[in-house]
Amino acid sequence: MTPEEMQAAIEALQGLSNTNLEIFYYWCTAIMILIHAGFLMYEMGASRVKHSLASGTKNILAFAFMIPTFYMFGWLIYLSMWQGFTYDPVWGEFGLPMSAIMGPNMADQATGVFWGAFTLFACTTASILSGAVIERIRMASFVVLAVILGSVVWNLAASWGWHPAGWLVTEFGYHDAVASGVVHTISGFFALGVLINLGPRIGKFNTDGSANVIRGHSLPMTITGLMLIVVGFFGFIGACVLYNYGTNGGWVNIYGGPTTLSAYLFNTLMAVAGGIIGCYACTRDPFWMMSGALCGVISAAAGLDLWYPPLAFAIAFAGGFLGPWAAKQIEKMGIDDAVGAVAVHGVCGVWGLLAVGIFLGGYPGFSSWDGFEVPPINMTGQVVGAAVMIATGFIPGYVLSWIFNKLGILRAGDGVQRDGMDNELEGIAYPEEIRSR
Amino acid sequence: MFNSSPITSWEGAEAIFTYADSPLGMAVCFWIMTAMLIVPLAVSYKAEEKAEIDHQ
Repeated sequence: MTPEEMQAAIEALQGLSNTNLEIFYYWCTAIMILIHAGFLMYEMGASRVKHSLASGTKNILAFAFMIPTFYMFGWLIYLSMWQGFTYDPVWGEFGLPMSAIMGPNMADQATGVFWGAFTLFACTTASILSGAVIERIRMASFVVLAVILGSVVWNLAASWGWHPAGWLVTEFGYHDAVASGVVHTISGFFALGVLINLGPRIGKFNTDGSANVIRGHSLPMTITGLMLIVVGFFGFIGACVLYNYGTNGGWVNIYGGPTTLSAYLFNTLMAVAGGIIGCYACTRDPFWMMSGALCGVISAAAGLDLWYPPLAFAIAFAGGFLGPWAAKQIEKMGIDDAVGAVAVHGVCGVWGLLAVGIFLGGYPGFSSWDGFEVPPINMTGQVVGAAVMIATGFIPGYVLSWIFNKLGILRAGDGVQRDGMDNELEGIAYPEEIRSR
Repeated sequence: MFNSSPITSWEGAEAIFTYADSPLGMAVCFWIMTAMLIVPLAVSYKAEEKAEIDHQ
C-alpha cells in the first residue's frame, strides 16, 4: 500500500467513524422518546378515569409544541446565552432558525442530531411539569407554560451550567454531567411555582388541612410507564456524552472533560437499583418504589461520569428516602403535587448537585472543548449552581402562573373538574364504563 | 409548481432544503408555522371557555 493509499484509507475510516457517531446520537434521540411514552402512561394511570384522556392529551400536546418552538428559539437560547443574559452572536448564528445548517445540509451531518437530542431534553422538562398539574390545569395554559419551561427557561440554565463556556462552569466549576440541576431541579421548581397558584384538586385537602389520597385509575399503567422512562433515560444519558470534541480525544462529558461510556452505564444501573430499593424500604408503596428509580438516577446524575458505582448506589438509595419524605412535606404545606414531581425532580435534583460537592470535591479542572478553563469541582460551585437552578426554575413558573391565574385561564372550574376534564375532548377512555371510586 | 430548490446540481451542494437560498421563502414558512402554533391555542382557549359554561 502506498502512503497515498494509506492516507485515503485513514480518511475513509475517519469518515465512517463520524457517521457512526451521528447514528449513535440519532438512536439516543429515538430512545429518548420512550421517556415521553413513559410519562404518558404514568400520568394517565395516575389520573382518575374521568381525567385520564385529558392527562394524556396534555402530555402529547406539550411534546408536539416543544419541537417547533425549540426550533424557533430554544436551540438559539442554549447556544448563545452562556454569558448570562447577554446574547453571543457568534454562537447564536448556529442556532438561528434561518441558518443554513438548521435543515438538510450536505456539509453538516451533526447539527440536526444534536438539535434533536436537546429538543427531547426540552420535552422531558415539559413532561415533568405535566404530571404535577393533572386533573385541574387548563390545556392551553399548560401548553404555554410548558413551552416557556422547555424552550426558554431550562435552556437558559443549560447554557449557564451545561455548556463548555457557561459562566457557572467556567467561573465556579459547577459540575452537572447528566442534568440533575439543569433539567430536573429547574423543572421541579418551575412546577412548584405553578402548583402554588394552581391550587389542589377538588377533594385533596380537608377543611382541617389534612390530605386525602386520590388514587389514579391504573397503578399497573403508572408503574409500566415509569419503567419506560427508565429505558428512555439510557438514551438521555447517552446523548449527554460527546465524542472527540477537542484535545482530550475519546469520549468526553458535556463540558469536554474526559469520561467513558462505561462510567455512565456502571453508575446509571447502580442508581436505578439504589433508588428503587431505597424507596421500597421506606414506603413499601409500589408507586413510590418505581418512582424510586427516578429518584435514584436524578440523585446520582450530576456525577454519573465519576462515581465509584457503590457510592452511586448509596447516593441513589438516599435519594430514594428523600423523594417520598419531601413529597410528604410538600403535601403538609398544602400543595397538591399529583405525582411527586417537585420532590422527585426538584428536591432529588438539588441533592444530586450537593452530593457532587460533598463527594467529588478536588477533581481537577480541565480545558473544555471550547478552550475555556474549568476550575476543579468544589462545594461552593455546587451550592451556587443549585441556588441558581432553584431560582431560575421557580421564579418564571410562579410569575407566569400567577398572571394566568389573575386572567382566569389557569385552573379549570369546579364543574369541569367534577364532571371530568375528558369532557372537553372528543373520545372516551373506557367505553365499557369503568368508573373511578 | 413552486420552484423551491436552492441548487441546480448536486456537485458541491451544501444547504439543500427548500428555499435555502431565499430568505423570503424561509420567512414565509417560518411565520406560517408560527401561526399554526398560535391558532390552535386560541381555539383551545375558546373551547375551554365553552366547557366552563357548559359544566357550571
